[in-house]
Formats: sequence, C-alpha cells, structure tokens
Amino acid sequence: MLTTLIRRELLDNLMTFRFAAAVFITLLLVVTNTAVLIKDYERRLAGYNAAVKMHQRQLQETNTYSAGEVYVDRPPNPLSIFNVGFDKRPGNEVKVAHGYVPSLWDADRHGSDNPFMNIFTSMDIVFIFEVVLSLLALIFAYDVLAGEHERGTLRLVLTNPVRRGHILLAKYISAMLCLLVPLLMSLLLAVILLTNSAAISLNTHDFLRIGGIIFASVAYLSVFYFIGMLISAAMRRTSTALMLSMFVWGFLVLVYPNVTLAVIRRLEAPQPRTASAFNQIEQIWEEFDRARKHFLATDAFPGEDWGLELRGGGSRHAYLWNTPRTLLYTYESVIDFETLGEEDEPKIPHAQHHFRFLGRLVTDTADRTWLIRKPALEDIFVKPAKVERAWLKLSPIGLYDAATQAWAGTDMLGTRDFFDAVRQYRRQVITYLYDKDVFGSREWFSADKGAPDWGSFPQFSFQRVDTHINAKRALPDVSLLLMINGVLFIIIFLIFVKSEV
Amino acid sequence: MWHIAKRELYDNLNSLRFALAIVLLIGLMLTNAVVHLHEHPKRIQAYNDGVTEYQNHLMASADESLYRLAQKGPGDLYKKPSALRFCAEGSETDLPRQAIGGTFRWSTDRLESAWILAYPPVDTSLGNLRPDVTLVDWSFIIGYVLSLIALLFTFDSISGERERGTLRLILANAIPRHTVLIGKFLGALISLNIPFTLAILMNLLVISTSSDVHLNAEAWGRLGIIFCIALLYTCLFLALGLLVSARVQRSAVSLVILLLVWVSLVVFMPGTLAAIAGDSASPKATHGFYERSWQLHNELRDQYGSRWRQARGDSRKRIEVDGAYVSKDAEQQEQLQEARLKQQISQVNRARATTRLSPVTIFQHLFESFAGTGFERHLQFLENVKVYAREYREFVVDTDKADIESLHIIGVREGMSEKPVSPEAVPTFEDTLNFSKDFNTAAIDLLLLALFFLLLLSGAYLAFVRVEV
Repeated sequence: MLTTLIRRELLDNLMTFRFAAAVFITLLLVVTNTAVLIKDYERRLAGYNAAVKMHQRQLQETNTYSAGEVYVDRPPNPLSIFNVGFDKRPGNEVKVAHGYVPSLWDADRHGSDNPFMNIFTSMDIVFIFEVVLSLLALIFAYDVLAGEHERGTLRLVLTNPVRRGHILLAKYISAMLCLLVPLLMSLLLAVILLTNSAAISLNTHDFLRIGGIIFASVAYLSVFYFIGMLISAAMRRTSTALMLSMFVWGFLVLVYPNVTLAVIRRLEAPQPRTASAFNQIEQIWEEFDRARKHFLATDAFPGEDWGLELRGGGSRHAYLWNTPRTLLYTYESVIDFETLGEEDEPKIPHAQHHFRFLGRLVTDTADRTWLIRKPALEDIFVKPAKVERAWLKLSPIGLYDAATQAWAGTDMLGTRDFFDAVRQYRRQVITYLYDKDVFGSREWFSADKGAPDWGSFPQFSFQRVDTHINAKRALPDVSLLLMINGVLFIIIFLIFVKSEV
Repeated sequence: MWHIAKRELYDNLNSLRFALAIVLLIGLMLTNAVVHLHEHPKRIQAYNDGVTEYQNHLMASADESLYRLAQKGPGDLYKKPSALRFCAEGSETDLPRQAIGGTFRWSTDRLESAWILAYPPVDTSLGNLRPDVTLVDWSFIIGYVLSLIALLFTFDSISGERERGTLRLILANAIPRHTVLIGKFLGALISLNIPFTLAILMNLLVISTSSDVHLNAEAWGRLGIIFCIALLYTCLFLALGLLVSARVQRSAVSLVILLLVWVSLVVFMPGTLAAIAGDSASPKATHGFYERSWQLHNELRDQYGSRWRQARGDSRKRIEVDGAYVSKDAEQQEQLQEARLKQQISQVNRARATTRLSPVTIFQHLFESFAGTGFERHLQFLENVKVYAREYREFVVDTDKADIESLHIIGVREGMSEKPVSPEAVPTFEDTLNFSKDFNTAAIDLLLLALFFLLLLSGAYLAFVRVEV
C-alpha cells in the first residue's frame, strides 16, 4: 500500500512545473558558481604557491640567522568551494620567530589579495543550497495536505483502508526523492567540475567529507520540507499556507540571522580585558628589558648598547614593539653584518655570549607572555564569536552552515588547527636553534665567515585533520538537525491524525 | 481606474500577507533604528578621537620645526562617518577608516625618510572570527525583504482573478485593459506602501527623537530622495509580478517563477557577477609589494652611492644630494602605493560595473551614494586626502621659501628653514561629503533603474493585452 501511495505522489510531483523549475534553477546556480569558485580557488592557490616560493627565496638570500624571516603560508582548502567559512578571512601568512608565539591574529594577507574585494559577498555552494533548497522544499510542501484538503481528494484516499501515518510518510518520501534530484545532480556536476580542474586534487578523505556535506544538506532540506508540511497541515487553505510559508522562509533565511546579530553585536572588543592583559604583558617585557640591560651593564664590555660596539659593515636594529589591539608584544633584534673589522675580532666571543643569552631570554619571555595572551585572545575574539554562532544555530540555517563548515574543515576549529601547527613548528624551530647553538654562533650576526645553513632548517608541513575528526566536529549540529526533523514529524503526525477531513 | 485600485486595496488590507508584512517591516525598521542609535555615537567617538590624535600629532610636529613637518607628514587622516549610515551600510566595515600620511620607513645616522601617503587595508577584518552577515540597514530591508513582499503582493493579481473567474467579470465592463492593469498596479503599490511608510516613519521617529544623532536639513533632503528611490525600486518588482502573473495561467506557477527569478536576481546575481568580473583581473603586479618597495629603495641607494662619494667634503653639495635622494625615494614609494591602489580600485570598479546587471545592486549603489557610504564615498575620501596632501606639501615649500636664510632643500634638516612655524598656519584636513558629485554618479543608476521599470511595465501591459479570458 505504501509503495502505491509513494508511486502516486512521485508521479504527481515529477510531472509538475515546479519540479522542472527546481532542477533548472539549482543546476544553473550551482554550475555557474562552481565554475567561478574553482577559478577563485585556483587564483588563491597560485597566490599561495607564489608566496611560498618568494618566502623561500628571501630566506635563502638572507646572510645571517638573525635577519632570517621565516614565513609560513596557509594553503587554501579545496573544500572551501562548498563552504568557504574561515578559509579566506584570517590572514594566510604568518611569521615564525622566537620573539613571539604566532596566533591567528598575527597573520597577514598575501600581497596578491585585493582587500577591497571583500565588499562583495562571496558565494559558495552551501549558501546556494541554504537559500534555494529551503525555498524549493517549501514550494513543494505548502499544498501537500492543504491542497488535498481543498480538492477533497484526501477524503477519497482515506476511504481506503490506509493508515494516516502511511499517507504522511508516502508524501514525505516522494517529495524528498524529487528534491534530491536537483540536489544530487547539481552536486554531481560540481564534483565533476572539481575533478576536471588541474589545480584541485581530491583524495578519498575529501570524498568522504563531501558525503558528509551531502548528508547534512539532506537533513537541512528535510527540515524545511517538514516546516512546509506543518504549515500545510495546520492551514486549511493553500493560499494561506503559501503566504505563511513564504513569510516563514523570509524570516528564517533573510531576517533572523541578520537581526539577531545586529541586536547582540557589540562593535568593540571588551576594552578592560584588553587593557589589563596588555598591561601584564607589558610588565613582563619591561622585566625582560631590565634583565637585558643588567646583563649588558655587567659583562666584559660594559655599556647600554645592545650591539657591543661591533663595527661591521651592514645594518642592525633592535627594539621592543607592540600592537595593543591584538596584545602582540615582542622584541626584535636584527644584526646583519656582511663584514667585520679587525678590531672587532676580540669582541666576538662576548658578542656570541650576549646573543646566546639574549636569544634564550627573548624566547622564554615570549613563552611566558603567551600564557597570558592566549586566554585573553580567547576572551576577546573567540568567545563573542562563539556566542554569536550559538545564537545563529537557533535557526536551521545556522546549524546547516556550522555542520558543513565542520565537514569541509573551514570552521573555526579547522582554521585554528593550522595555527596550532604553526606554533608547533615554532617549537621545532626553537629546538633546532638551541641544538645547533644558533644564537651563539657567528652566523647569527655576521656573514663574514660563511652563510647560515638554511638547507637543514626545519620545514613546515600542515595536514588537514582526519575525516573522523571532521565528523566528530559536525556531529552535534547534524544530530540537532535530525532531532528537529523528528520533532517536526511528530507534531505534523499529531495534527494530521486529529484533523477532520 | 481608481475604483479598481480601491477594490484591490481593500482586498489586500484584509489579507494575511498585509498583516505579516506590517509586522515584519516594522520589526526590521525598529531594529535598524535601535542598532543605529547604539552604534552611531561610537563611530562618531572613534572619528573624533582619530581627529584629535591627528591634530595633536600635527601640532607637535609644527612646534618642533618645519623639517619635522616635512619629514613626518600630517599623520593619520580619518574618514568622516555618515549620519545616514542606517540607510546603507555600504560594506563600510570592509573599507578602511583612514589613510596614512606618513609612517616611519627608514633612517640612517644622517637622514630620515620623508612622508608619503599610504593606504592601509582595513585592520580589523583579518582577526575577526565573527559570523559574516548583512547588516540590517534600509538597503537590506528594501532591497531584499520589501522586494520579496512586493512579489508576494502581485503574484496572483491577474492569474488569481483568472482562476477565480472574476477577471471575466471585470473585463465585461467597458474598461480598457490598460486601465485595469494600472489600477491593479496602483492598488498593489498603495497597499504595499502603507506598511512600508509606516515602518519608515517609526524608524525616523526613533532616530530623530534621540539626542545622539543629528539630522540636518541636507540629511532630510537625502532621506526624501532615498524614499523616492525605494518607491521606484518596489515599482520595479510590482511590475515584474504583474508581468509574470499576466503571462501564466495559474498563480502557483506564477509564484514559483517569481521566487526563482527573485532568488537569482537579488540573492545570487550580485555576488556571482562580482566574482566573475573580479576574477578576470589578475593582480600579479601587486604581488610581493613590499619586496618591490625595498628593491626600489635599495636600487636608489646604490645609484646615489657614487654621487655621495663625489660630494664628500663639500657639505653644501652633500646636503643637495641628500635632499634629492630623500625626495626621490618618497616620490618613488608614493608612486608605488598609488599604482597598487589604482589597480585595486580598477578591479573593484570593474566588478561593480558588472554587477549593475542586477537591479538590487543598482539600487544599493544609489542608496550608498545618497547615504554617503560605500565604495564611491571611499573614493571621494581618497580624493580629499590627495588634495590635502598636495596642499600640505605646498605649505611646507612656501613656508620654506619665505625664509631667505634657508637652502630650500626639502627633506634634509640642514637644508630647511629653522624658523618656528605657527601651528595655526598649517593646513588641517577635514573630510567633506560632496553632494553634486554624488548626484552625477547616481544619475546613470537612476536612469537604469527607471529603464528596468518601464521595460517590465510595458512587458506586463503587452502580456495583459494578449491574455485570453
């Protein structure tokens, strides 16, 4: 009986104009946007490759260790085509130095990016689904019960010995099958376009992640279908149901996300927290400066100067600098001598001793300030963002967005994974510097007796997390979506069973 | 005709969609007003702080010497926030709030770099982890929500009558078809405008009664123009609704078509077109900007090496070479900055021109130009900055010329006048909004929008004339 019902509903739906329109519009939007997104990705990848090459070349050209600027670049995520999330926004190049612990807020943008282009909204496939699929689901659902009621066909169906639950189920299954056609077809075309692009190589894990995105999309689609069905069950007339559906759609998709954030958003970060943390950090660095000066005042060449009066040819600078907004405070000292004079020779052991001391002191101070900076950054930047995301999750769109971001690895955690890797790399670099006694070497400040060995310097590598971690991160949101589905179905069932024909 | 419009109006007033539209629009407009009242004083405060800082910086330099003025430059120049930002946010959060007139670039034991104009990218967006949303401004409420509501008001105005069979009754009377169409159009326009005007009035009431935001006569004039643009824009969508409704037999089909057209036109077209147009420009020349900057600087230093060697011993000649070096370096670096900015702007302009195919973008551009926000406004600000920079440089040169003891070599301490500079004489920067220029850029947009509307309305007329009842 159920199959008969499904077949009837399916045939009803397939032959409609709205089905054809749904397929057409989804395919059109997804295919054009995927083509554009792939080009965008390729451009970003080219920018990344150029940046990596440039940074490597610059490092090789540096004559001394202290002048060497080690940059780490963040590659674009190919799955950002599905949900761009945080892939574009945080900076994509970050300097690794012993003088500070790098975080997301210290990253900069590749030189090839145009910051003005941010004024345009960027599309991704999930955004298209968010808007179009929900609309289509409501268009398919608004007359599913109210229509039959109006035409009086419901009465005819119920004269047969069928359970009301079966009717609902048949309607749901057949409509979902119809809606899956545009969804799957457009995704299939998108994936074909993706695999055809030379720049993008997807592995098995990526296909699993895309599978996760598809599953979340189906759950999302089904939520909106149920919402439409609920309205249709509660309203007696199709025109009322349609109006109400459209307003509910407008509210959930357009109004809710924007209004909530407008209301709860505060323009500035909490000032007192920033100021107090910054003061603490500043004090630590002042302490550092005292220790540094004390060392200089008591060593074999007493004086205030950091350069130990070396008279080499080249450039040198050293200063404390800070950015209060991101709580960044660091000491930078670069001594880049190409030649050293005869009279400098006896001072060199002392200079080495000094820089060995200074290197360790700077590293330790940076590590100590990180203990304060990390929780403060968390409070100032991450917490409000998390609160806002939690508010957005009150609407199915927010849940769907969060779930697909988690699957694509472009969510907040996925992006922060990269910066965790950068911090780990910094530790690696520091261990290397200690092991080779680079701080105390002549190459730290002078190139007169040979250049630094950049070849054996540790290399940075970053792997996106495994699929099961993506799955774990997506799980709460996907299960919430499924729960909403369940609750909605139960409500619709109760209304439908109680309703008089 | 008025009879039809009146009938249409009464029909609409009693409907569910009218009630929902009223609730939605008033809710949105009140949110907009409350948010603006909350945010605007902060923006003004930030601007005033910036201006005070700039003035202090300028005074400090002027107190020191003319050389300091020539070397350090005027400092950060801030963009004045518009009081009408609640009408159109104009992605102001993604645009820089200031231009930099002079940062430290390099120094040697004898020389310091001269100031240049630099254009920093917006500083807050990189570390911002907050979700990205369209802010609820008028242009969002009208561009997205009101246009959708306009379609919901008209999708069944003809096809619905035909379905119910009442169209035949109307046309049985001796009324020309175009009168019927215009009547329906006016009826829908008026019934849509009741909630809309109500919402706007409430919004303005809240904003104008607050003491934090002052709207002057010019701002009210701008608001009037903005309201007219909003009317034109809604007319566009009403005409679209009538067109589809006249062509299609059933109202359900009409709605599906309208919604899908709306989604593509309003939601997707702007972003997709911008991405397509922005993509075509490869910003290769901007790559490695800092590297290029250092390279230029080093090349120049090497180039001047021999001239310095020649000038050794002759202090007058050395100062001349120094002056030439410093000003040449500043000129080169500023040209580099300008070139990059120009390239970025041309990419954005290309993208913006392409997005004009979508009426919602035209409408947003119009709103932005009359509200004094957005990209055009930013360009105007940059223009103001450049004019001021020229003025400032001229001031330094003229003041120096007035002192006959000076060697008139700008950018070198020994080569410049050492007389005290009166701080009041230094030109100060104030950002202004130029209305006539706004109107020029807006005129084409306005024309395009009107053209779209006439096209759709005549389309609706043609479709309706050929309808068989």
